[in-house]
Amino acid sequence: MASVNPAIDIDNTNEEPGTRAPLVLGGLDYAGVTETVCAPWEAENPPKIWWLILAAALSLLLVLGGCVNHLLMKGVGVWGNNNPAYWGWPIVNFVFWVGIGHAGTLISAILFLFRQNWRTSINRAAEAMTIFAVVCAGLFPGIHIGRVWVFYWLFPIPTEHLAMWPNFRSPLLWDVFAVSTYATVSILFWYMGMVPDIATFRDRCKSKIGKIAYGILSLGWTGSARNWHRYEIAYTILAALATPLVLSVHTIVSFDFAVSQLPGWHTTIFPPYFVAGAIFSGFAAVVTLLVPARALYGLQNLITLRHLENMNKIIMATGMMVGTAYGIEFFIAWYSGVPNEQFAFINRAFGNFWWAYWIMVTCNVVIPQLFWFKWCRTTPWFMVIVCIFVNIGMWFERFVITITSLCRDFIPSSWAYFHPTGIDIMMLIGSFGLFTTLFLLFCRFLPVIAMAEVKSIMPHGDDHH
Amino acid sequence: MADKNDKDSKLVGLLAQFDDPDSLISACNEARLAGYKAMDAYSPFPVHGIDPAIGIQRSLLPFLVFCVGFGACFAGLGMQYYTNAADWSPIFPGYAFKISGKPLFSFPANIPVTFEIIVLSSAFATFLGMWGLNKLPMFSNPLHRISRFKRATNDKFFLMIETKDENFNRSETESQLNQWGAVAIEECRQDLTDNQLPSWVRLVGLLGVFLLMLPPVMIFRNMGMTSRSPRLHVVPDMDWQHKEKTQVLSPVMENGEYLFTDERAMRKPVDGSIARGQLEVDSEMYRGVKKDYKAAANSAKTNARLVSASIEDKEDAPVEPDQADQAEDVSMWMTQFPEGVTVDQAFVERGQQRFNIYCSACHGYDGNGNGLVNQRAMALGANGQAQWTAAKSMHDATVKDDSKNPLGRIFDTITNGRNTMGPYGAQIPAEDRWAIVAYVKALQETGIQPATASTETDGADEEKQTDADGGSDKEEKTS
Ligand code: HEC
Repeated sequence: MASVNPAIDIDNTNEEPGTRAPLVLGGLDYAGVTETVCAPWEAENPPKIWWLILAAALSLLLVLGGCVNHLLMKGVGVWGNNNPAYWGWPIVNFVFWVGIGHAGTLISAILFLFRQNWRTSINRAAEAMTIFAVVCAGLFPGIHIGRVWVFYWLFPIPTEHLAMWPNFRSPLLWDVFAVSTYATVSILFWYMGMVPDIATFRDRCKSKIGKIAYGILSLGWTGSARNWHRYEIAYTILAALATPLVLSVHTIVSFDFAVSQLPGWHTTIFPPYFVAGAIFSGFAAVVTLLVPARALYGLQNLITLRHLENMNKIIMATGMMVGTAYGIEFFIAWYSGVPNEQFAFINRAFGNFWWAYWIMVTCNVVIPQLFWFKWCRTTPWFMVIVCIFVNIGMWFERFVITITSLCRDFIPSSWAYFHPTGIDIMMLIGSFGLFTTLFLLFCRFLPVIAMAEVKSIMPHGDDHH
Repeated sequence: MADKNDKDSKLVGLLAQFDDPDSLISACNEARLAGYKAMDAYSPFPVHGIDPAIGIQRSLLPFLVFCVGFGACFAGLGMQYYTNAADWSPIFPGYAFKISGKPLFSFPANIPVTFEIIVLSSAFATFLGMWGLNKLPMFSNPLHRISRFKRATNDKFFLMIETKDENFNRSETESQLNQWGAVAIEECRQDLTDNQLPSWVRLVGLLGVFLLMLPPVMIFRNMGMTSRSPRLHVVPDMDWQHKEKTQVLSPVMENGEYLFTDERAMRKPVDGSIARGQLEVDSEMYRGVKKDYKAAANSAKTNARLVSASIEDKEDAPVEPDQADQAEDVSMWMTQFPEGVTVDQAFVERGQQRFNIYCSACHGYDGNGNGLVNQRAMALGANGQAQWTAAKSMHDATVKDDSKNPLGRIFDTITNGRNTMGPYGAQIPAEDRWAIVAYVKALQETGIQPATASTETDGADEEKQTDADGGSDKEEKTS
C-alpha cells in the first residue's frame, strides 16, 4: 500500500508533447487512492482547524437563523428594499449563489461529455458545492415571497379551495421550475455518483452506526459489472440532461431581468452573459474551496496543480467573456439610439453607484488578467486571493444590474437611492455560514473525491479511453 | 463461512480474486468461452471492455428514459394549457386568465417550463430506472459476508461463477478459475439459518408505518367533519392584522382619550371630495329628477348627498331627504327614461333579472308583494313576533299611478328607499336601476294581480314575454 499524504506540490503543469500529463501523482495505486481519500474520514478526530471553522460557520448560521426569524415575524420591511428598488439584496444574493452553483454540474456534466478526465478528482466537491450554493440561493427568493408558509402556491398543486394556478407565462415562475429542477437533478446526480464511494466507506467503516448508515446509503452496491454497465449509461444520460439544464438555469434567471422592460435589463445578451458569469464565479468558488481543502486533507496528489491551473484558465477565459459583455452592453446601448438605454449605462458607470460599477470591473475584468502569468495560476495561496476578488466582483455585478436599473426607472420622480439595512448585511454574511457548515459536514462524512472515477482514469495495462 | 455446516448454508457460487483489471477481463473471456453464463465480475470502478467479455447486453435504460421524456413533453404542455388557458374542469378548475396582454397559450412562453419538466422527469426515470434494473437497493447479499470481498470497492477485482450455471461443477470450475489466473478462490455461501429479518426490524417497521399513517388519517377525518370551533390559524398575522377595521371605535391613546375625537376609527373623506367616477352630475340619470326642475333644490340635494358632514352630525336620525320633496312636488320626477338609456327587450330582460335578484325576496317574482321574506315576516308579525310593514305590491294603485308615482320616483325608491324600504343605490348601478324600473312598469302592464288589485289593465291576455315589450313600449308612449 502506498504511503499516504506526501503533502507536497509536484509540478505537473508542463506539457510534454506526445504524453499525457499524469493526473494522479505520488505513485498512488488503486489502494493508495482509497487510502488518501479515506484517511481524513477515518481519522479519529477531524483536525483542530476544522472545528474552528465549524464553530465560526455555526455562529454565522445562527445569525442567519435569527435574521430569517426576525424577517418572518416583522415582514419584508426589515430589508432595505424600497420603492423603486423592490428587488434589493435578496435577489442579488440569490443570483450570486445560483451563479456559484453552476460550476459543479458544469464540471461533472459538460466536462464529462467532453471527456475531460481531469474533472474526476474535483467533480465530487464541486457538485457538493453546487448543491449547497443552490440551498443558499433558494433561501432568498423563498423568504422574499412574504408569506413563506404558503410557498407551495409557487407550484401547480391542485387545491380545492384556491381554484387558482401559477402563471406559466411569467419568467419568475420559470425560475421556480428551473431552480428547483436544477437542485433536484444536481442532488440525484451527486448522490448517484457517490453510491460506489459510499460503498467503499461501508466496507471500511468500523463503527456500528456508520455501518448501518453507509450500508443503507450505498443501497447494497457490489460493483458488479452488470450494475456498472447500467450505472455508466445512467451517468451519461444524466450528464446529457444536466448539460442543457445547467445552461438553462442561469438563462432563465436572466429572463427574470431581460423579459422586463426596464432599461439596462431589457437586453438579449443577458442569457449568455449570465451563463458565462455563472461559470466564472462558480469556478472561482471551487478554487477558493479546494485549495484549503486539499492542504487540510493532504489531497495534493489527487487535486494537483494541473487541476487548479486548468480551472484558473477557465476563470480567465470566462472573465474575459464577461468583460466583453460589459463592453457590448455599452455598444448596444449607444447603437440602439434609445436615450433611456444610453442613460441607464452611463448612469451605471458614472451615476451615483459608480463605485459599485468600478469595483465590479476591477475584480472581474482586471484582476483575473493576472492569470496570464504562470506563477499566478500555479501558486495556490495567490490564486485563492484572485478568486475571492472574482467572487466579490461577481456579487457586485448582480448588485449593479439590479440596483442601478431599478433606482433609475422611467419616471424620474420615483428615482431613489438604495441603502441596505443591517439585516440585509447580516443575511448575506449568514448565508456563508450556512454554506460553510454544509460543506464542512460534507468533508467530514462523505467521500470528498470520486474515488471510483479517479481509479477508472488511472493508467493500467491497456489504457484506452 | 467455511466452518458452517452444509445443511445451514447453500453454495451460491465460486468467487475468484484478481489483482488487476486486465487479468479480470481475460478470465472473463475464458469463462465465457468455457460456456459459463451465470457469472458476474466485481470491480471498484467500471472496467472498460468487460461488457463483451461477460456478454452483457446493452441496457434498455436509454429507451425507457426517452419514453418518459417524450411523455413529459406532452404532460408539461398539457398541464400549462389546462391550468392557464382552459376553464373547463373535470376535477380542479383550470384558470384562464389574461395577463399583461399575453396570449393564454403560446409556445415561446411555455417552452422553459416544458423543458424543465422534461429534464426533471427524465432525470428521475434515469435514476430510478437504473436502480430498478440493477435490482437495488438490495441489502441482503451473501457477497457482503465475505471479508475478502470488501476490497471489491477498494482495489481488487473479482469474478463469481454461480451454481445456477448449468456448466457449474464445484471442483472443475475451481480448477478452471485457478488456471485463468485467480489469486484466490473462495466459496460464496448463503446462510439459510439467518434468512429471517430480526424481529425488532418488523416491530419498528410496523410502528413506523403506523405513526406515518396517523397524520393523513387525521387530516382526512377532519376534512369529512364539520366543526363548531374556529379554524386553526397557524400564522395569524394575515387573519388578524394590526389595523382598525370599518365601523369600530377609534383606537385609544395612552392618556385614555380617543385618538379621533369623533370616536370612530374610520376617517371620512374630506368635505366635498368625490370618488373617481362618481361625480354623477346628471340628475336625470342618477337621481331621476328632471334637469330643468328648480336648479336650487337640485343643487341643495346634490350637496346634501356629497357633503356628508352636516348630515352625519345627527347620525341617529335616518336621512330621508325625499320625504319632504315627495309631499310637495311630484313634478320634479322624470316621467320618461333619461337620455342614454334605450329601452328594448334586452334592457327589460336585464331589469327582470336584476329585479329577481334584488327585489323578489320581498316583492315576489310577480311583484305582488308576496316574496318569501314578506311571507315569513307577515307570519311572524301575525303572532306579534316581529314588526313589519307589508312590502307593497307593484300593482298597488298608488304605485302604479303614473301621475302619483312617475318613473323618476320609482327610480328614487330603489336608490334611496322609501318609508320602511331600505335603499339599494349602493348595490345596483344606475343603468340597472333604470332597467328595473322598466321591468316594474312591464310587470304592472301584465295584469298578474293580487285578488284585491284594481282591474284597470289592458293587454292582460298577452303573453308575458310580449308584455314586457308592450310594457316598455307603452312607457315610451306615456313619456
Ligand atoms: C327587504 C324587503 C324589500 C326589498 C328587497 C325591496 N322592497 Fe320595495 N318595498 C318594501 C316595503 C316593505 C315597501 C313598503 C314601504 C312602506 O310603504 O313603508 C316597499 C315599497 C316599494 C315600492 C312602493 C313605494 C311607494 O311609492 O310607496 C316600490 C316601487 C318598491 N318597493 C320597489 C322595489 C324595487 C324595485 C325593489 C328592488 C330593487 C325593492 N322594492 C326591493 C320592501 C322591499
